[in-house]
Amino acid sequence: MKWALLIGALCLAGCNKPESTYARNSDVKAGDIKSGYAFLQDDTKALQDDDFANPGFLWVDRGKRLFETAETGASTCSTCHGAHGMPLKGVAAHYPKVDAKTGKLLNLEAAINLCREQHQGLEPLAYESDDLLGMTAYVASLSRGEPVSVDITGPAAKYYEEGRDYFFRRKGQFNLACSQCHNEHWGEKLRGDTISQGHGNAFPAYRLEWQDFGSLHRRLRDCDTGIRAEPQDYGSETYMAVELYLAKRAEGLAMESPGVRR
Amino acid sequence: MIRISAPDTAEMGEIVEVKAMIQHPMETGYRRDAKGDVIPRNIIKQFRCAYGGNTVFEATFFPGIAANPFLAFCLRATRTGPIEFSWTDQHGETWSETRQLTVS
Amino acid sequence: MRAVAPMSLVALLGGCEPQHDARLASDVSIVGDAVPASLTGAPGDAERGRAIFVSREEGHCVLCHQVEGLDAEFQGNVGPALTGVGGRLSAGQIRYRIIDAQRIWPDTVMPAYYRTHGLRQVEHGYEGAPALSAGQIEDLVAFLEAQAS
Repeated sequence: MKWALLIGALCLAGCNKPESTYARNSDVKAGDIKSGYAFLQDDTKALQDDDFANPGFLWVDRGKRLFETAETGASTCSTCHGAHGMPLKGVAAHYPKVDAKTGKLLNLEAAINLCREQHQGLEPLAYESDDLLGMTAYVASLSRGEPVSVDITGPAAKYYEEGRDYFFRRKGQFNLACSQCHNEHWGEKLRGDTISQGHGNAFPAYRLEWQDFGSLHRRLRDCDTGIRAEPQDYGSETYMAVELYLAKRAEGLAMESPGVRR
Repeated sequence: MIRISAPDTAEMGEIVEVKAMIQHPMETGYRRDAKGDVIPRNIIKQFRCAYGGNTVFEATFFPGIAANPFLAFCLRATRTGPIEFSWTDQHGETWSETRQLTVS
Repeated sequence: MRAVAPMSLVALLGGCEPQHDARLASDVSIVGDAVPASLTGAPGDAERGRAIFVSREEGHCVLCHQVEGLDAEFQGNVGPALTGVGGRLSAGQIRYRIIDAQRIWPDTVMPAYYRTHGLRQVEHGYEGAPALSAGQIEDLVAFLEAQAS
C-alpha cells in the first residue's frame, strides 16, 4: 500500500503541472561573472585589443568628428562637453539612467538625441544610423575600462523590474527565457560557439556575424529572433529596461566599447 | 570612413609599417535577404598605395575579402613626400587619402 | 493485499496520463513518458532523419547534441549526447522528447518541436506551425532509434 501511495504521489507530482510563464530563478554567481571577451577565440580578442585593427574605431572616429563639428545653426557637442565643463569621460558606464525631468529611462542613444533636441535644436539621429552609432561609439569609448555601475533605485526601480521580467519570461516558438542560456548554460557549446553570460559591457560592438557595427538593441533583436520570438523595436522602452537590468547584472565589469564579438 | 596609420617621420632607409582600413560592406553577391532574393555584389576591386609617385603596394580584391578591409604592409623610407592610398570599387567609384612622410 | 499495490499503481498511472496535450499541432496519445504511435501513421526514414539532425535549416539538433561518428563539425553539448540513444530509450520515448520535452522537464532548454499553442511572442512567420513537422519528427525518430550502443 505504501508503494502505491508513493508511486502515485510521484506520478501526480509529474503530471498536469501548471505551466509557468517564467523560467526558474537563477543567476551567475558573483565570483563567476565574466565579460563576453572571455568567451572569444584568441584572434577575436586580439582584434578587439588592437586600436587600429578593431573595426569599431571606424565608428569611434566618425563619432569624434561629429562631436567636434558644428551642424548648421547649432553649437558643437564639444562646446559644452569639452575639457572645460561636463566632460564625458566615464559617463557611459552609468547608463541607462532616468531623465530627472521626464522620468523616462534613457540609454546612451536616447540621451544623445535628447541633448541634440533640447540643447542644440537639432533633429534626433535615426537608430542604427552610422551617425548615431558613431556618436554612441565615441562617447562609450570614453568609458573604456570604467566599471559598469547603474542606479536601480527610485524612479529606475520599475524599469529594472521590467527588464528582469523580460529576461526571465519564456517566449518565442522555442519558449525560452534569456536566463536559461545565459545564467544556467553559459560555458556550454552551441556547435562551435561557447554560450556567454550575455552582458552588454562591450556594446556598441562590431559583430563578425554582422560584418558591421551595431547597438545593444540590434543584438537583443538577434537574441529574440534566435529563439523565434518577435523582436522589439529599436529604441523601445522594453529593450531599454533590459539594458538597465543587464547593466546591473554586469556591475563591476569593465566597459569595453567598441567591442568585437562573434 | 578611412583610417590610416603611417608615421609622420622616418630615417633614411628605415622600414616603416603602414596600415589602412576603409569602411565598406564588401557584399559578396552570394547572400540572400529575408525574402530570398540575392543581395547584389558590391565590393572594392582595387587598392593602390603610391609613395612619391611610385606604386609601392597594389591589391586586387575579390568577394572573399571581409567587410571593412584592413591592410598592413611595409615600405622603405627613401625621401620626403606623400604616401597616397586609394581604393576603387566595382562601379569605378574611388576614395583616397594622403599622408606626408618626412625623411631625414 | 498483494494485488492492491500493482492495481493502485495502474489506476494512478491511468488517471495521471495527460492523454491529450492541448499544446500540440495535432492530437497525440501519450502513455507515461512516451508517445508510442507514429505521428504520420508510418515509419520515418532514418537517412532523411540524419540529414534533418545536422541541417542548419531543419532540425539542426547538432547545435546542442552530439552523436559520435556523425559527419558534422563542432557538435554542441548543451544537451545530453545522443550516441547510442536507441539502446537506452524506446522509439516512443524518443518521440515524446522531441515533441514536447518541456512537458517532461519544465526547466529544460530543449524546445517543444511539435508545440503550437500557448506560446508567447512568437516571431511572425512561425506562428501556428510547429518547429518540426510530423514527417520530420518521424524521420528523426527513425534515425535516433537506429543509434544503438
